[in-house]
Amino acid sequence: MNRPPLAEPYPTRRTLLRTALAAGVAAPLLSGCVTGGGDDADPAAGNTGAKSADNPLGVKAETPLEVVIFKGGYGDEYAKHAGTLYTRKYPGAKIDHQGLQKIGEALQPRFVANTPPDVVDNTGASRLDIATLVAAKQVTDLSALLDAPSFDDPAVKVRDTLLPGVIEDGTFGQTPLTLNFTYTVWGLWYSKSLFAAKGWAYPKTWDEMLALCATIKAAGIAPWTYQGKYPEYINDPLLSMAAKTGGLALVRAVDNLEPNAWKAPGLISAAEAFAELAGKGYLMAGSEALTHTEAQAAWSNGKAAFIPCGSWLESEQKDVTPPGFDMVMGTVPSRTAGDQLKATAVQAASSESFLVPAKAKNPAGGMEYLRILFSKQSAKAFASTAGTLPAVAGATDGLTLSSGLGSVRDAVTAAGAETFTYRFRTWYAPLAKALDDATGELVNKRITAAEWAQRVQKAADAIAKDSSVQKYTR
Amino acid sequence: MRHGRWRFLAGALVPALVLHVVFVLSPYAQAFYLSLTDWTGVAGEAHFVGARNYARLGGDSLFLDAVRNNAVMLVVVPLVTIGIGLFLASMMHLGGRGGRRGIAGSGAYQIVYFFPQLLSLVVIAVLWGFVYNPNTGLLNGGLRAIGLGGLAQSWLASPALALIAVMAVLVWSSVGFYVVLFSAAIDGIPRELFEAALLDGAGGWATFRKVTLPLVRETVQVAFVYLGIAALDAFAVVQVMTVGPGGPDGATEVIGLSLYRNAFTYGKFGYASAMGVALFFATLTLAVLALRAGRKERLELA
Amino acid sequence: MTLVDERPAVSVPPAAARRPRRSYAVFPVHLAMLAWAVVTALPLLWAVVSSFKTDTEILNEPWSLPASPQPGNWVRAWTEANIGRYFLNSLIVVGGALLLTMLLGSLVAYALARYEFRGNRFIYYTFVAAMFFPVFLALVPLFFVVQRLGLLGTYPGLILVYAAYAVPFTVFFLHSFFRTLPGEVAEAAFIDGCSHGAVFFRVMLPMARPGLVAVGIFNFLGLWNQYLLPLVLNPDPDRYVLAQGLAALSVSQGYRSDWSGLFAGLTIAMLPVLIAYVAFQRHIRAGMTAGAVK
Repeated sequence: MNRPPLAEPYPTRRTLLRTALAAGVAAPLLSGCVTGGGDDADPAAGNTGAKSADNPLGVKAETPLEVVIFKGGYGDEYAKHAGTLYTRKYPGAKIDHQGLQKIGEALQPRFVANTPPDVVDNTGASRLDIATLVAAKQVTDLSALLDAPSFDDPAVKVRDTLLPGVIEDGTFGQTPLTLNFTYTVWGLWYSKSLFAAKGWAYPKTWDEMLALCATIKAAGIAPWTYQGKYPEYINDPLLSMAAKTGGLALVRAVDNLEPNAWKAPGLISAAEAFAELAGKGYLMAGSEALTHTEAQAAWSNGKAAFIPCGSWLESEQKDVTPPGFDMVMGTVPSRTAGDQLKATAVQAASSESFLVPAKAKNPAGGMEYLRILFSKQSAKAFASTAGTLPAVAGATDGLTLSSGLGSVRDAVTAAGAETFTYRFRTWYAPLAKALDDATGELVNKRITAAEWAQRVQKAADAIAKDSSVQKYTR
Repeated sequence: MRHGRWRFLAGALVPALVLHVVFVLSPYAQAFYLSLTDWTGVAGEAHFVGARNYARLGGDSLFLDAVRNNAVMLVVVPLVTIGIGLFLASMMHLGGRGGRRGIAGSGAYQIVYFFPQLLSLVVIAVLWGFVYNPNTGLLNGGLRAIGLGGLAQSWLASPALALIAVMAVLVWSSVGFYVVLFSAAIDGIPRELFEAALLDGAGGWATFRKVTLPLVRETVQVAFVYLGIAALDAFAVVQVMTVGPGGPDGATEVIGLSLYRNAFTYGKFGYASAMGVALFFATLTLAVLALRAGRKERLELA
Repeated sequence: MTLVDERPAVSVPPAAARRPRRSYAVFPVHLAMLAWAVVTALPLLWAVVSSFKTDTEILNEPWSLPASPQPGNWVRAWTEANIGRYFLNSLIVVGGALLLTMLLGSLVAYALARYEFRGNRFIYYTFVAAMFFPVFLALVPLFFVVQRLGLLGTYPGLILVYAAYAVPFTVFFLHSFFRTLPGEVAEAAFIDGCSHGAVFFRVMLPMARPGLVAVGIFNFLGLWNQYLLPLVLNPDPDRYVLAQGLAALSVSQGYRSDWSGLFAGLTIAMLPVLIAYVAFQRHIRAGMTAGAVK
């Protein structure tokens, strides 16, 4: 649910049934969007009003607004709240709010028929494929919104209120088309209260991690577990570690499919680190067959000390976490003393992707709604209930956060400019699949780090050579 | 009479044919065409690429894994299912020769056996995912409870066991149906034949081999075709239940899953269609061979 | 119908002759039968029991009974997953598709089995071949076909597509069934001046009833558990069929880690079918017997 659609498309593999659901729908949907076109009449004609300082996007006050929200782990109260703010400003406008789980299934026919809603939260496993929507010119350019004054402070443009990387995450070619509302950070999670009770300190380096794992194991707890059914979860700390060692140059080389990128010393040594973790028996027995919910529940129940996950973990575990558990996220330890990035660097990306369909009846209203949603007031309300960081800078200032969310905010603050994200997973899905398979084998001690690098490099080379695959560079 | 005959035939055939052509044949025909293109799901951008998609199949190691796994399933699932099904069905009859319905309670057994057939494969796969859970699952929990904790395995995550675990679910879900089917077929065998065998002093196994098996052969053949088709599919169970899915590392990959992933995750619809066409010919060949064999034997028996 | 029903009676010898002199050891036979019954029933029973447990119990004690039953799991599954509505949707779609399938399928099977004309074999194989097509090969083009007809997400659209995909098996199954029916009755009816249609509906169809029941059951099970087709063609949550609804429940399970709710949902989906089966199993078995003997 809360995976950023751009940086990490794994929701499609995250839960068993969601996959079955999503996959069946995605492709028909897309193509539908494309062939469904042909009606060039502008449905929004007559639905824009005069622009003013107070109404920078030219909303026609009484035009109804239809908003479709992905109702996942964050619920949809925050979106209703933004709707309330909207109707307060335009009392004549009637808002049709829908909170759904299967965005793609519900909206596909609407896009085909050129009658899409005015705002879409295109998130979740069965979301519409954004690249295809973009190619079909079904999405409105949000430049006007980004350049409009922000809802809270007319002196600041909307684009200057967002966390770093948010606009880039929603930009296709040169055009900003989507705005991601949440900010996700990946790291290693543990129970602060457990660690305090045992006198364990969160490790800054991998050597400290191994030493701590020995202590934890001796205490009768499995040091690590992971969401074995979906090996991409344990890829995250591995790739984070490699990025810290090799720096952003390593990340770019991997994403740009450069020759032997996967044989970089940073990647090999990170793979060796995880092979060692597995080799020393620090992974909880049976983890390799657990779904994300099962592994996370085992961790919440104190059967394992660490689990790798993104910052959605706390809200996902809300119902099964014992009181006083105090989960917190730590950053992936440094592998070497000569790492290019500091130990505080984090893998981070924005998600929960909002867009205004090109064929919306009320696109100005749609953008105005987003302007209100991305206001500090609305983002703050979201942060206090949803348990995740909004993509709006400073939205959590002055809020008392839960232990998990507080640790995520602190990690973002500590990282400063040192955030990074890999793109190959979105760009080259077959490479991600090859990597997941190889990493699953690596942490189950069936291949060595060198073989791991060999395999993944081979898959990357195959993609680089394949002329039928659209290439991207960063 | 002539006139009425043609009018009746038209009335009987045309509606079904229209439905068939519109909703079944035309989509398949389009899919066949797509297998010769590089269609990515974005209409209007399909380029004709000839047999290139088919040529790529041979170099796709995951697809080759899938072919191997499907081949194993194609042999094992029907054999084991039919084996257990025939065993149980004939036990019911041999065990209790007194009554018309076989041994006492055979009706109740058949009711229970049939249960999995009533459930959607999605439900079955979700359920068995829980059964196989290495730490909290029914299977390992049971093994530990009876002191066989040493046999507890990470069923779906070990390459040697994952495919077996998948096949076990397929067998589990279909045995009951074939018990009932075979049992019905055995009911149809004239009693005198069994009694003649008994009088000749034939034991249970000999009776089964000499009487039961030859006379239910046709039913068994039909069962082979259906089970074979099910084994060539296996998509729902693999997709929902296995690690990855299709893992670990391709150990449970099936053609349907490769097709699905290529079409719906990678957007390579042309390539995926080529897989579908290959699967189609495999299925068709299997069915034709099995039915041919059946017809030949029927002729020989006659 | 009478003709078929009488057949076994003719071939069965008097009851006294059927009594065996020798009996096999019944105990090991029962043991084997019981073993498979346990293997079959245990996972289902386990799902039912787990649907009354708390999440913690499910995670820690797979074999334990619930300390105190949790009916809240069922309430959650029922209210949050709308299982009742999905059930009704399934009934409407499957019921409509079943009627249509049986009507069209038996007409085609009969026409092809009992009439000689040019193209007969061709039409037969056109239908039968479709049985062996992997369905997801057709999914995307099918989506467009249904969409262009304006039938996407409607009951009639689903019913038509369901029927279209169930007719081939029905034709295949009933074709051989109609072939084996004796022709004399039909000839007599023709001589009495019955039309072709009347012969089919009044004479042949009743005679084929055991076969119709059998194929009807197969079709019902197949359609009831259909998942791929509604997934793609039925995007409106208000019209979800049961399999989709269950999948939706699993989706929320994925988001909220609600194992007990998922087990309750599984149970709610399983029980009515199992109970209906137990109630009607006599008819079902009779139908299958007819199918196997044919």
